[in-house]
Amino acid sequence: MGILSHMADLLARWRGSRGLPFALLFKKFKGILERNNRILELMADMGDKLGGEYVFDRQYIVDACEQLDDHVFKLISDMSVLGQRKNVELFLAFERIQHQLQEEIAGRHHFEGGRLVLPFRDIGPDAEDEVGGKLAQLGDLSNRLHLRTPDGFAITTAAFFAFMTRNGLLAQAQRGMQDWDGTDGGLRELSDRMQRGIHDAPLPWGLVAQINAMVDVLGMRRKQPLRLALRSSAWGEDGDASFAGQYATELNVPPDRVVEAYKNVIASVYSVEAWRYRLDRGFRETEVAMAVGCQLMAHSRASGVLYTCALHAGDNCEAMVISAAWGGGAAVVSGETATDTFLLERTPPYRITTREIARKTRRMVPAPKGGMTREDVPADQRDAPSLTDAQLEQLARAGMSLERYHKRPQDVEWTFDADGDLHVLQSRPLCSTGDAGLCVPVQDATSRAEVILSGRGMVAQRGVAVGRVVLVDHATDLDTFPDGGILVSKYTSPRYARVMRRAQGIITDVGSPTGHMATIAREQRVPAVVNTEVATELLRDGEEITLDATQNVIYRGRIAELDRFERTETDVFEESYEYRLLRRLLKRISPLNLVDPHSDDFKPRACRTYHDITRYIHEKAVETLVDLSQRHEALHHAPARRLLDGPPLGLTVIDAGGGTECLPEEAGLVTGQVCSVPLRAFLDGLTESGMWDTAPVPVDLGSFMSSFTRTFSASQAGPREVGRNLAVVLREYMNVNMRLGYHFNIIDAYIGSTINDNYIYFRFLGGVTELVRRSRRARFVAEVLERFDFRVEVHGDLVVGRIKKLSEPRMLLRMRMLGGLVGYARQLDARMHSDAQVADHVRTFMEAISTVVATHHDDRIERKGGGHAVTTAHPGA
Amino acid sequence: MPSRLRILVLDDEPIVCKRLKPAFQKAGYEVETYTDSAAALRRIEETAFDVVVTDLKMEGADGLQVVERTHQILPQARIVVITGFATLDTAKESFRKGAFDFVAKPFKLGDILDCVRRIEAELRGGGSTGNGM
Repeated sequence: MGILSHMADLLARWRGSRGLPFALLFKKFKGILERNNRILELMADMGDKLGGEYVFDRQYIVDACEQLDDHVFKLISDMSVLGQRKNVELFLAFERIQHQLQEEIAGRHHFEGGRLVLPFRDIGPDAEDEVGGKLAQLGDLSNRLHLRTPDGFAITTAAFFAFMTRNGLLAQAQRGMQDWDGTDGGLRELSDRMQRGIHDAPLPWGLVAQINAMVDVLGMRRKQPLRLALRSSAWGEDGDASFAGQYATELNVPPDRVVEAYKNVIASVYSVEAWRYRLDRGFRETEVAMAVGCQLMAHSRASGVLYTCALHAGDNCEAMVISAAWGGGAAVVSGETATDTFLLERTPPYRITTREIARKTRRMVPAPKGGMTREDVPADQRDAPSLTDAQLEQLARAGMSLERYHKRPQDVEWTFDADGDLHVLQSRPLCSTGDAGLCVPVQDATSRAEVILSGRGMVAQRGVAVGRVVLVDHATDLDTFPDGGILVSKYTSPRYARVMRRAQGIITDVGSPTGHMATIAREQRVPAVVNTEVATELLRDGEEITLDATQNVIYRGRIAELDRFERTETDVFEESYEYRLLRRLLKRISPLNLVDPHSDDFKPRACRTYHDITRYIHEKAVETLVDLSQRHEALHHAPARRLLDGPPLGLTVIDAGGGTECLPEEAGLVTGQVCSVPLRAFLDGLTESGMWDTAPVPVDLGSFMSSFTRTFSASQAGPREVGRNLAVVLREYMNVNMRLGYHFNIIDAYIGSTINDNYIYFRFLGGVTELVRRSRRARFVAEVLERFDFRVEVHGDLVVGRIKKLSEPRMLLRMRMLGGLVGYARQLDARMHSDAQVADHVRTFMEAISTVVATHHDDRIERKGGGHAVTTAHPGA
Repeated sequence: MPSRLRILVLDDEPIVCKRLKPAFQKAGYEVETYTDSAAALRRIEETAFDVVVTDLKMEGADGLQVVERTHQILPQARIVVITGFATLDTAKESFRKGAFDFVAKPFKLGDILDCVRRIEAELRGGGSTGNGM
């Protein structure tokens, strides 16, 4: 249904809708909450799929997106009914995001911003559409693996389209292809026409201005005269198709020739050879897009190539090989010069096993007026090794880090500059490993090996790691983390990002595959398994293990076959189209930009993702229900009353039937007048535990105050803003929505005498501090809930706990506990200074709450006797 | 039954084949993958596979037909149905036509490996379950 017809439909329904019955409004409100939860869970599920543990297909992606579309659309529709207003802006935001998702699924990449030039340091993940395959990869090397690459900027594919479209050249190529007679002569003619067209056409002036500005910036950072290397970076280049040698590279280009050199590279897209290469591989004309990298020329002292797997050393691939020569690397790549050859072991400390030093008489150097030239090598250097042992080790380390990241042996082009600094110029899969890995008798090896752990926890990033266990806790100095170790820790922590370059793998006792650390592990492709519960108990510091984070098994000892198998896999999951598609889609679904409801940007127009829309509606739904209840004409039977006693929750209670006992004229109510069974238990727990007022541990005043001031700034400190918390109750039902400071808490519960109807749904999200502290609090909440038999899911700082079908006394016990938990967890994130405090707080809380729950019912004893069921489905879903 | 279990995987989405093939190989099985149901059925007529893993909804032949034909050609083969459209009806229908197990997509690699290991253990008369996992 189109937006307009949908709006007309809604308007028709609203006509004369003054005084909609509360039953309907409440139903919509409840529907919004349920849908809101469902959307968050769907998003978290989609995020989990990126870890590699799941097998999913395109159909899953399409289905998941359709479900999200449907839920978000209905969410807006329900909100429209609840608020009795047109939500045109929200529908427009929805349509915008949905359109982008559909375009991505259809394979039409959506360009945001359409930047024409882009400094290398701004090349983020998933930049391939914008800067082509090769530059996106260089961005990865520099920004994720922290390897040094030449500085510079990209002239993007958006610039390519701007130039080619303005001059009618793209249409000319597409038309030419349609009319092509299939002969070589015809293709040559077409190629000539296209290349001439490109050279004759003017670049848009705006593009020229931006290129020149970028060149000027580069020039300012340099003492010597500026010289650039312009390299091609097309869609698909260095991916499945290497396009090796198909496109032009312009070396040692002076600033005044950059535009001309740019056109040369662009024109090479339409050379006969490149065109033929694309045709042979089934590329369509619409898939052609070329970005161009403008890199500072490194002043090369020595350059060459590294193969991380020396194939000629036999199938076992136990060595890497480095070919090196003086000067620039072009001669090494083309095989035109004598080179030194070194063989090194593939494991730290990368011992050099063979060195063959060649007589090197000529070297490549930049020519004074541009381009490259050859010159004689000074006599004293001809027979000297072109690399020192330290440089060889540095190269080896970089090579293995590249291989681990790409999960394939790599062919790396590199150069050491005059200052002795290593620059990685390019890294691509080393071809022709073929099916070698599949011949490895991997199953024989794994069946002989001792399994330490199997199937525990969740795979956050798949892969295989072989190395020694390094037990790490909050007190460990991460600077001493050894190269090649496997990090084993009780908790996940974003702090470990620092050692990921050195770690072969990561294993934790607790944690979530969608948490922050898992995200970083995925970015750097470090095999990781989280939430194993027992890894730190079973693994000893320093022992050698093999982590198979694909099948989720940890073996004792080194199983080289498994490692080798992984590295020779022909298809790398992270490079599959479906993985990249899902990741691109999630960028338009999951990030939350609308955080602060008091900010000026908290409005429908600012919604950039489905998460934003969901968050906006949740906030507005609570607000709307309170507002409606305060206008008596809208809710004849449900006056809203403030709770006057107890902890300052700022709770407004709407009684939808039998939930309270107060006279119609009373504006407020006290706890004693609450008849709603679950709400009464919740409030009793909160009051009796005393956890709202008394801080359970000494408070770090600085962080507490910072969170306090951020939570309630002077303008927001009025009781009205604090008092947006809402409870809708019936005699046996409650739905409490709370914003306590910066976290959001929903408790939805039905507790009565019919066991099968009983449930509690508890959701906790957010906080004022950085993610690491919020995640610690989330773990604390999760652990407490688990101790009370809730089925718990944690995704980052979102905790969802569910429990069902327990007897009324058991349910009430848990509601009282939740009262205490809500009081205890308030502001707790600000006090979570270390991972160790999670367990401390769980202990403290369990001791404190024991008196509150024990006085009412000895649940532990009862549970031993009678079976209870904890079921899996969402109570309202 | 040969020393190594022979598995045929049929799914019209190449990514499923690409992920299952190395996983099964790593676990010590012989694997062939197909994205086209006609080609897969021709191969099933030629070779006695122990396990056939097939998608249910595909372009061309319906997965249920593949289940039925496989069951006729290779009655001893165990058929595992993988599908993103899991409903009680499709599950019942698959079992009626000869499916041995039913795995809903998306699934964990470990789940399908466990399923195949169960089959292997059963075929070997309750013996070893592969690599000890």
